[in-house]
Amino acid sequence: MGRFVVRRLLWLIPVILVVSGITFILMHSAPGGPWDRDLSARQVDPNTQRLLNEYYGLDKPLWRQFVAYIIGDYNKDGSFKCGLVCGNLGPSYRQRGLTIQQILFMPPEGKNFFYSRFGYSIRLGVYAMLFAVILGVPAGIISALKQNTWADYISLFIVTIGISVPNFVIAIFLIIIFASWLHVVSIVPRSWDQVDVWILPAIILGFGTMARTARLTRASMLEVMRMDYVRTARAKGMAERLVIFRHMLKNSLIPVVTMLGPSLAALVTGSFIIETMFGFPGMGRAYVTAIGQRDYSMIMGTTLIYAVLVALANLSVDLTYVLLDPRIRLD
Amino acid sequence: MRSKLFAVAALLIVASMVLAACQPAAAPAPETIVQTVVVEGEVKEVVVTATPAPEAAKPAVLRINLGTYPDTIDPQKSSFVNEIAHLKLMYEGLTRLDGDLNTIPAAAEKWEYNADATEITFTMRPGLTYSDGTLLNAKRFEYSILRNIDPATAGEYAAITDDIKGAIEWRTADVANLSEEELATLKAGVMVQALDDAGQPCTDYEQTTCNTLKIGLAQPAPYFHVVMGLWVTFPAKEELIAEGGDIWWNASKFHVGNGPFVLQNLEPFVRAYFVPNAAYWRGAATYDIEYRYITDGAVSFEAYKNNEFDIVPLGAEDLATVQNDAVLSKEAQIYPGSCTFALMFHQLKEPFTDQKVREAFSYALDRETWVKDVLKGLGSSTLTWIPKGFPGYDAEENRWGFDPEAAKKAIAESSYGSVDKLPEITATFGDTPRNRVRWEWMVAKWKEVLGVDVKLNPVESTTFTGLTKDIKTAPQMFILGWCADYPDPQNWLSVYWKTGAFGERIGYSNPELDALLAQADSTIDPEARMKLYADAQRLLTDGAPVAFMWNNVNSYLVKPWVKGIIQTPQDSGWVGDNDPLTITIDTTMVP
Repeated sequence: MGRFVVRRLLWLIPVILVVSGITFILMHSAPGGPWDRDLSARQVDPNTQRLLNEYYGLDKPLWRQFVAYIIGDYNKDGSFKCGLVCGNLGPSYRQRGLTIQQILFMPPEGKNFFYSRFGYSIRLGVYAMLFAVILGVPAGIISALKQNTWADYISLFIVTIGISVPNFVIAIFLIIIFASWLHVVSIVPRSWDQVDVWILPAIILGFGTMARTARLTRASMLEVMRMDYVRTARAKGMAERLVIFRHMLKNSLIPVVTMLGPSLAALVTGSFIIETMFGFPGMGRAYVTAIGQRDYSMIMGTTLIYAVLVALANLSVDLTYVLLDPRIRLD
Repeated sequence: MRSKLFAVAALLIVASMVLAACQPAAAPAPETIVQTVVVEGEVKEVVVTATPAPEAAKPAVLRINLGTYPDTIDPQKSSFVNEIAHLKLMYEGLTRLDGDLNTIPAAAEKWEYNADATEITFTMRPGLTYSDGTLLNAKRFEYSILRNIDPATAGEYAAITDDIKGAIEWRTADVANLSEEELATLKAGVMVQALDDAGQPCTDYEQTTCNTLKIGLAQPAPYFHVVMGLWVTFPAKEELIAEGGDIWWNASKFHVGNGPFVLQNLEPFVRAYFVPNAAYWRGAATYDIEYRYITDGAVSFEAYKNNEFDIVPLGAEDLATVQNDAVLSKEAQIYPGSCTFALMFHQLKEPFTDQKVREAFSYALDRETWVKDVLKGLGSSTLTWIPKGFPGYDAEENRWGFDPEAAKKAIAESSYGSVDKLPEITATFGDTPRNRVRWEWMVAKWKEVLGVDVKLNPVESTTFTGLTKDIKTAPQMFILGWCADYPDPQNWLSVYWKTGAFGERIGYSNPELDALLAQADSTIDPEARMKLYADAQRLLTDGAPVAFMWNNVNSYLVKPWVKGIIQTPQDSGWVGDNDPLTITIDTTMVP
């Protein structure tokens, strides 16, 4: 197992290189640059653009900019500025003075890490995931056990909504119902320190994952229910509860876990729509805004973080297989 | 086993969240207290019923949804409206605008130009201090203006002070290839100097006699006092910038300013909280300000209706709802803005090399219907460049307005003779649902009036911006606007239409206009100067280089308890932010 983990972690290096290379080519292929301004306003003076390009190294050939980002480059004063290999994600071109690490990982004045953009996204992602799993898995189990009953139909109805209705539509509906009509929560949280303000964003963010989890759990359970070993367990007089949880659920969770891994990575890296609607200070909004602003380092940084998280999530999925099914050998 | 524990723990967390959410707010209840008291030497126990104190009066807070969180809040590096909205609360320039867009004294008590307007001398207001009580003298403004010009700052609006003698030379210096001595010489050549009462250069920021700021101008610039009210001159403290480093602007403790408010707390992307500056020379405001950053218009609108905001921008998508609502319609504030939008014709790309074709396309545009049907009333049609409400507005201009017959005639008189001989015409725009609607309407109108087919070329928004910046890549036809930096015709005409300025992106260059504008820019007599600008604007319109189309409007929803707002076209960020001191909040009305 140890060798497997090390090998998979080493594979991260070429993955990061390929992802960063593709991202770099794509973002530099798009016209425009970080100094472009709203067309109805004064544009940045060409000389200032030249100075900024020189300062940030954007005047160098593209291949050198890429090498500088990955490995590093020499500053004008002759000192070496290390790049990604030293964990440096580069400077933001729009939030002048801030590095990408500071934007994503630095908390505001007097707060801890969980108040950084990454911290906020992780918290919301975990809450959304908890919601998805805690509701999705039981809903799937009940649906399968009570197939073609009202419980199954209700569950399927909610699941279908979760899969087919975009989350911004669900979001505005829930906002109107719970905030505008019932006044249970406020639309604009006065503070993210309150627990209740997380409920709506977490539910909306996790709704799609919950629906997919329920659907997959149901399908997987239905398949497992007809297996010989389940019939055998029942035949030898095992309690139904044990049959469900020990034999059926455990075996049916493998495809669910496969899906949940990347979902967790997606949830903790934030959602542009949810963050925009709730004024949530997470990573998703930073990522999408950076693309529009051509904030190259920010695009690269967030893409790489996302890539690493997906890779780690997949690794953890592989490790979870072993726990769920002892027949699986990773080495 | 572990997974069971995990599931139980997770359930508990969610249950606690739900319970916390459903917990009703505890109402203050009478409390029974048993006290021991001594009455004339005798010990007695009495029961006292303590009635809770009435709820404290609601604090006056103006809650504003500003939309996008700023990229930077550094006076010398900022350029966007939302950034300026923060800076204007915390800092103040030498001059400021009144409600009628007249430039009036602010940190400077007065100013005067020399005879040929090549030098302007500001006299500081006596007794000025920062919010922390420290002295604000002319040396502070010398620093901020020089910092704006400094190539090391590379401020995005740095060029706006290029009228200062020596500013361009230093700002555009080849920093990489010049020695420190050469750069120091260039800096010394910038004619900005803080002087003490004896006329000697000031020595430091503690010098109480440092009351004069003298600025030499590269050419006569009788409008320069207006520029000195812009955010790029705001006097952030040098020592705090040094202490905070490159990211000083990201922490409230480094924003010690001289404006009407003090930034008490800044939580990036969540909120900024401002309290009144007790040391502000015009007196302290009576309320706090809270900025929030909700970019989704639908959510912002719901939050406003839910009394969670006092001021929000009113988007076109909510206009009909507001107009049909008895309460909301009274709370809408819609008034002229500071931008003019025009249909740009590339003067060097056929068929718009021919003035008659440009005239035809302009004649074919029914601007009134455009404003009513497409902009849903959020705008006003125009046939000229400087908008209504700004000095230099030409109410008489009526050329190239909607006239289908004149449009057809112009095509017939063009070098092409008829529409079927026109080369392919493509309209390029940033691909948004709003722009698609706009262009589809326009193309339909041209088809209807002229019988011409115009192809649509939607491109990604930033790509569109990139294309329009260069004369070579600028599209054949596109919509572009200009919003005033400051209310002077020089900013509308010279800054935009002189050869080499922004208008060059469509290949516009008119030596006659250049000469007239140069003359207007340096004319000291205000009346004569305005007359020259009026002539210049007419001359610009003569050639129909573009089709002026509409002026924007500022539109906000404002709660009835927010009183005393003075609207100006130059409001940046929210209605009334030009002078927040006129605003009061009637807390008795706040639900």
